[in-house]
Amino acid sequence: MTAKVKSMIQGIAVLACIALVCGLLLGAVHYLTYVDPLQLTFDRFAEDTGAAFSEMTDEDGENFDNGRIVYYALSDDGSYHAFLASGSGGWGGDIQMYVYLQGSTISKVVLGDNAETLWDTFEPDFFDQFVGLDVSSVDSFASSDVVTGATASRTIRAVAGAIDSVVRYYNANIAGGEDRG
Amino acid sequence: MDKRKIKETVIGGLIKNNPTFVLVLGTCPTIAMTTSLAQAFAMGIATTFVLIFSNLFISLLRNLIPDKVRIPCYIVIISTFVTIVDMVMQRYMPDLYSTMRAFIALIVVNCIILARAESYASCNKPLYSMLDGVSIGLGFTGALCLIGIVREFLAGGAFAGISIPGYPAMSGVGASAFGFIVFGCLMALFNFVIQKINERKDKMKAAVLPLSEGKVEPLKEVAEK
Repeated sequence: MTAKVKSMIQGIAVLACIALVCGLLLGAVHYLTYVDPLQLTFDRFAEDTGAAFSEMTDEDGENFDNGRIVYYALSDDGSYHAFLASGSGGWGGDIQMYVYLQGSTISKVVLGDNAETLWDTFEPDFFDQFVGLDVSSVDSFASSDVVTGATASRTIRAVAGAIDSVVRYYNANIAGGEDRG
Repeated sequence: MDKRKIKETVIGGLIKNNPTFVLVLGTCPTIAMTTSLAQAFAMGIATTFVLIFSNLFISLLRNLIPDKVRIPCYIVIISTFVTIVDMVMQRYMPDLYSTMRAFIALIVVNCIILARAESYASCNKPLYSMLDGVSIGLGFTGALCLIGIVREFLAGGAFAGISIPGYPAMSGVGASAFGFIVFGCLMALFNFVIQKINERKDKMKAAVLPLSEGKVEPLKEVAEK
């Protein structure tokens, strides 16, 4: 075995050992900090609405053209339809939003997990524009329906995608469809 | 432990080799994360944590890591601690994490950390390397906080999220371009102050030096007339 090959093998072995130790360390931290996303979503639904949620009505969600419904739950008293919706195509990837419906009308929208960096260019009450929208009266929701002075077009597209997913999911599964609630 | 080296390491990171105002490293998080004091502080602390532990590990392994693969090894170690910060912030500070998420991951490529790993931790003992991480981290945090205070005050008329009554918020001042202006002004001020302090020190040294080096002739006895 030449010295060059030996040094190469030594380098690979050291790098592999370091990667292994780092992997074990990350595994331990992950174990300590892991929170069940389902439980986290339940807590968020309850915190945002003040209503109790005891079971997730739809844990599998559904994919749409510009986004997806991650979770859907109906509150125990039946007053709230709570969605964790995700819009795709944002600058930093997907944008998650918590969308709450009372009847078929959006009553609250809260921004969730996202990696966008231009939120400070949006109006402080940007998400309030969706409140009052009767999702049963529309078939879809497009970027052009979003009203804002901000020019973050990819962020707007992802936000519209999340709202569009709620509209489509509600109309297909809750309003006239299967009504899994 | 060498007390002089400890003093040099601590003062070096905070003032003499301040990563933001003197070395001008890590400019991306400096501009992106200083729109408010809270964000600036959180970014500084996250970077300090990564600096301390990556310096410690790299210093411990400095004799084992072959020279040819040192950079990939440093990156693996640094990214491990960045991921730990990411996980902990996501678990315990979700609100802050949601606004800083993109920039936390970018700590991996922060040149301050790689620079300290390459220039200090790879050739110094673990304890000194940790100390270097602390001082450089605190220097970075201090600089970010200073810029954060000025930018938050000018853009939002607030200090640490509390609005100052009667002070109007100036639109546009929160933009990145203005962040560069604030950064430049504070850098100039910092270096001006340091220069003045050094000049004063040099003057004092110059006044004391002839006595200590025996350059002043001893008084001679003069015969009485």
